[in-house]
Amino acid sequence: MTAEVGSPLIDIRGVTKSYFSGGVETKVLFGIDLAVPRGDFLAVMGQSGSGKSTLMNIFGCLDQATGGSYFLNGIDTLTLSRAELATIRNRTIGFVFQSFNLIKRMSVAENVALPLIYAGVSRAKAHAKALVELERVGLKEYAKRTPNQLSGGQQQRVAIARALVGDPPLILADEPTGNLDTHTSEEIMRSFQQLNQERGITILLVTHEPDIAAYSKRLMRLKDGHVLYDGPAAEGLREMALGQEAALGHPPLPPHPTTSVPAP
Amino acid sequence: MNPLQITIEAFRSMLANRLRTLLTMLGIIIGIASVVLLLAVGDSMKRFISKQLEQLGTNMLFISPGGDRAQQQRLRNGAAPALTMLDAAALNRLPSLAGAAPTLQGGFNLAVGNENASKTVHGVTPDMFKIRGWKIDKGSAFSDADVRSAARMVVIGRKIADQFFYKIDPLGKYIRIENVSFQVVGVLYGEGKQVDGGDLSDYVLVPITAAAANLVKMQFPGNVHYVVAQGKSGGNLQDAIQDINETLRDRHRIKFEQPDDFRIDNLASFAETAKTISAGLAALLGLIGAISLIVGGIGIMNIMLVSVTERTREIGIRMAIGAKPRDVLLQFLTEAVVICLVGGVFGIVLATAAAAAITATGKFDVFITLQAVVVACGFSSLVGVFFGFYPARRASKLLPVDCLRYE
Repeated sequence: MTAEVGSPLIDIRGVTKSYFSGGVETKVLFGIDLAVPRGDFLAVMGQSGSGKSTLMNIFGCLDQATGGSYFLNGIDTLTLSRAELATIRNRTIGFVFQSFNLIKRMSVAENVALPLIYAGVSRAKAHAKALVELERVGLKEYAKRTPNQLSGGQQQRVAIARALVGDPPLILADEPTGNLDTHTSEEIMRSFQQLNQERGITILLVTHEPDIAAYSKRLMRLKDGHVLYDGPAAEGLREMALGQEAALGHPPLPPHPTTSVPAP
Repeated sequence: MNPLQITIEAFRSMLANRLRTLLTMLGIIIGIASVVLLLAVGDSMKRFISKQLEQLGTNMLFISPGGDRAQQQRLRNGAAPALTMLDAAALNRLPSLAGAAPTLQGGFNLAVGNENASKTVHGVTPDMFKIRGWKIDKGSAFSDADVRSAARMVVIGRKIADQFFYKIDPLGKYIRIENVSFQVVGVLYGEGKQVDGGDLSDYVLVPITAAAANLVKMQFPGNVHYVVAQGKSGGNLQDAIQDINETLRDRHRIKFEQPDDFRIDNLASFAETAKTISAGLAALLGLIGAISLIVGGIGIMNIMLVSVTERTREIGIRMAIGAKPRDVLLQFLTEAVVICLVGGVFGIVLATAAAAAITATGKFDVFITLQAVVVACGFSSLVGVFFGFYPARRASKLLPVDCLRYE
């Protein structure tokens, strides 16, 4: 299970995905190639139906690709059993979802500790580590509350603490700001940036908002299951804006102060 | 995930839906309560029967006139030979018997002053006291001489004494039985059901001759209602039965090919019958228990399926953050087992309450045994595993991507 040093964290080649219903094949991904080195911050953009969620599920080992190959941390994931995939998700990936996906019956601390519990860590140790992560996101005093007693932004920070508790090398964030207001979204995105820069955690972000994608280093745009663009984020976003301008026939709005890309 | 963690989680999700959990448990509670009660009642019944047998006396044989139905009919018409005092005397001399004594009995009006009541009166001989193990509390039993002289004496049970001679010493007082005065000479010791269904404390005993002369009108003088015999202790009861049979056939001049004109009932065989009946009752209770456990189990399966559907998203989250299919399976299985076990505990509590209620009536002592509790717990977890497995397996087979998409 040791990763080859220097190999990309995520390495997918010719990944295809098809859904079958009633004997009819619907192709969603048409041969995606992508290598994500460690420490990268990649935003995947695309309209609904572009296949970005499907690709994200494959990245997260939540779904299996129909064809191609997917090496995560040097491990060929397409040959693994469901239990092995669970272990990979547990050790390698931290998930942050649009709808937070905290378990409502459990306290905040228990939610954060859960990945460690599944990893076989003792209750006391898991709880202690959960408190450390909660402190990092500034929510230690909310440890005993239930997720329902927290605001959306706070819940998402709890989810980030949960994603980080097992010290995974990769964070998958699927529309993490989709349910949050602009101000909170900014806070969340800044904390992702911080994680990327300070802890060297690789971040994969799915979004359809250019403002959010602007926090990333690298951008991949998907359309109808094909890669439309893969390159530096700033350039890609500019290209996108120009494309929209051309389509709408008027110049883009002047950038809002809060949506500008912060200086690294 | 360790077992403790899984159990804690199971309890929490159980408590999250209290009413639903309780309703789901109901089938298990009733099932386990009836299983525990059945074991306890079966046990108590066995004890009860052997205690009764002790009271009735051991090696007891009941000899009654009339062999088959037709003979019993003729006997009622006075056309068949009955058992007589002389038959009893002959049996009393048999070496294989410890004794044999005749009885006449009937219901008569008893009166002392203004107090009167209808009671069963037994006409017996002193030998009967020995055979039946009756003891005298106060005074004495009547003697053979009293029997010969048809003395109008009576020995009464404790309850009779209390009823007619409340707080007064009954010895030497008179009771009118069908307007004939009988002098109380003794009071019986103790109480308890007798073989004829009466209670010892409610007995009224007079010399058989006095009963024949004053109370019981038989068509043929010297006939008796039945004879009670006791086999020698340590002897073979079957031999005693054989001896009685031969003696009576001889005395009644029954030809070789003719059937008996009497019946010999063995009290031990009554006990066998009682045991069969109690086993049948236990089987019935067991059936009720089994049915409600099955119904309860199906209820649990149903609720677990609902729970799996309701918590599809939670299953998805758990799988995403590292729950293996086995973890999900164990989680739901443990939940089903915990519901069953807690239901089992409630069932045991319910059974204990029912046992206490039965015991409180004073007719029958029921104790919950440890064995019953262990069996109940085993049973209820078995139900949980059996009916919880399918929903748990279904949960574990769900794909994380589908679960996370589930609204």
